[in-house]
Amino acid sequence: MVVAAMLLSIWVVPILWAIITSLKNEKEVLAYPPTVIFTPTLHNFHEVLFGPTNIVSYLTSSIVLATSTTVLTVLLAVPAAYSFARLKLPAKKPMSFYVLATQLVPPIGLIIPYYLILNRVGWLDSYKGLVLIYLTFSLPFAIWLLVSYFEDIPREMEEAALIDRASRLQAFWHVVLPQARGAIGVTVIFVFLNAWNEFLFAVVLGGSNVSPVTVAMYNYINTEQTQWAQLAAAALIAMLPVIALGIAAQRHIVSGLSAGSVKGVTRR
Amino acid sequence: MAAPSVAVLIASTTLPLVYLVWQSLRSTNLAMPGMDHFVGAENYLRLWHDGRFWDAFGFTIIYTGSTVGLQLVLGLALALLILQIPRAQWAFRTVAILPIVLSPVVVGLFWRTLLLTPDFGIVDFASRALGLGSHNWLGDPLLARISVTAIHTWQWTPFVFLYLLAALSTLPADLYEAARIDRANAWRRFTNITLPLIRPAIVMVVILRMTVALSAFAAIYAATGGGPGTATEIINLLAYRVSFAELSLGYGAAVAVVLLVVTMVVAALLFRLRRAL
Repeated sequence: MVVAAMLLSIWVVPILWAIITSLKNEKEVLAYPPTVIFTPTLHNFHEVLFGPTNIVSYLTSSIVLATSTTVLTVLLAVPAAYSFARLKLPAKKPMSFYVLATQLVPPIGLIIPYYLILNRVGWLDSYKGLVLIYLTFSLPFAIWLLVSYFEDIPREMEEAALIDRASRLQAFWHVVLPQARGAIGVTVIFVFLNAWNEFLFAVVLGGSNVSPVTVAMYNYINTEQTQWAQLAAAALIAMLPVIALGIAAQRHIVSGLSAGSVKGVTRR
Repeated sequence: MAAPSVAVLIASTTLPLVYLVWQSLRSTNLAMPGMDHFVGAENYLRLWHDGRFWDAFGFTIIYTGSTVGLQLVLGLALALLILQIPRAQWAFRTVAILPIVLSPVVVGLFWRTLLLTPDFGIVDFASRALGLGSHNWLGDPLLARISVTAIHTWQWTPFVFLYLLAALSTLPADLYEAARIDRANAWRRFTNITLPLIRPAIVMVVILRMTVALSAFAAIYAATGGGPGTATEIINLLAYRVSFAELSLGYGAAVAVVLLVVTMVVAALLFRLRRAL
C-alpha cells in the first residue's frame, strides 16, 4: 500500500505543484528552496482571465473548434458505424482494416499536404478549414469506436421492428439509438478530448483567427519567460474542461480504453 | 448511410498521402514559390547521406523503444500492485486519468518550467537535496534526451496501467486458487498464468503506445523544440523543422514519407504478432 502511494505520487506531485505555483505571486515562485507554505493568491487567475493579455479569446477558439468537431463527427460517424456493423457491405473487411490503418498514419505526414491544400483553397486560419482537418482524424477514430459497440447490440430487436413494418431508418432511430447512448457518450468524450488537446494541426494550420488554448500555452513560454505563476494559472484554466471531463467521466473513459478488441488512440 | 463518411475518409487520408509522396519528389521552397521543380529521388538521396537524419532515426528508435518498454514495465507493475487493493482502486483510477487527459503541449511546458528548470524546478531541487547536484536537464544533450523520454513515459504510463488493470480484473480467480493448491509460488503464478492470459492485451497496448510514441510531437516541441541543437529530434520533429522552419517542403515530405513507411512496417509486424498469439 505504501509502495503504491509512493508510486502514485509520481503522477500526483507535478499536477499538485502546478496548482500550488498558480496560487503564488511571482516573487514567491522564485524563492529557493521552493516553498509549500505561503499565502495563496488568486491574482494570477485574475490576470489570466481579465488582464490585458487574457486567454478568453483562446478559450473561445478552443470551444468553437472542439464543439463543432465533436458535433459533426458524431453526426457523420454514427450512421457510418451502424452501416459497417449491420449491413452486408461487399467491401466490409478491407474497409474496416482501412479505417484502422488511417489511425496509424503519423500526423506529420498529413500536415504538409494539408497545409498546401488549405493554402491553395484559402482556408488556412479559418474555422471551416480547421474543423475539416480535425474531422479527418476524429471521424475514423469515432467510427472505429462505435462499430465495436454497434456490433454488440443484438439484432433481434431491430428485426422485430422490421417485421412490424418499420423502415430501416425508423428501426435505427427508435430501437438501436437508445441502446447506443453509452457508446455515443464515450465517443463524444474521446473526440472532444482529442480536439481540445490538439496542438500540431492548430499551430500549423491556424493563425490569428483560429488560435486555441494549446497554441496560446506555447506562446506564453515565448513571450513571458519568467511569469511562471501566470503560466501555471493559464495552463490550469486551459485544461479545466478536459480535467473536469476526465474526472466526471472516468468510468466511461476506462471502458472506452478497453472496449471490445479495438481501442482509441489519444492525441500525441 | 456510410457513403459520405467513407468518401470523406478516403479523400482525407489517401489523397494527402499521394500528394505527400509527390511533394517528396520535388524541391519546394516556401520562400520562393516560383522555383519549385521536379527532382525525382534527389531528396531521398540527400536523406541517405544526411547525418542529421540518421541521428534522428537512431534517437527515434531509442526513444520509442525505451518509453514503450518503461511504460509497459511500470504500468504492469502498478496494475499488479493495485489489483491487490480493490478498495483504493477508484483513487488510483482518478489520479491515473489526469496525465492522460492533459494536452501533451501543456505537459511538455509544465515539465520544462515547473520541474526541470535549474534552480527553481522541483526535480532539480530534489536532485540537489539528494546530493546529485543541479543539472541542465533540458540543455545538455544526453540529459535532454532522457528528460524527453521521461516526460512521455510520465504522461502515458497511466494509460497502460488502466488498460492492464482492466485486463487483469477479468482473469478468473479459480485458476489462481488451483495454482496455490499446487503450491506454485507468486513468480510461477505470474509467468505461467497471468502473463499468457494477458498477452493479447499487452500486445495491443504496445501497438497503441508505439504508434503514439513514433508520432509524438507536442510534448517534445514544447519542452525542447528539438534541441539542444538537434539532440531531441525524432524523425517527426525533423520533418516539421525542415518543412516549416527551413521551408524546404520537398525534403520535409521525404522525411515524413520515411516515417510513414517505418510506422506502417512496425504496426504491421505487431499486428502479425498479435494474430499469432
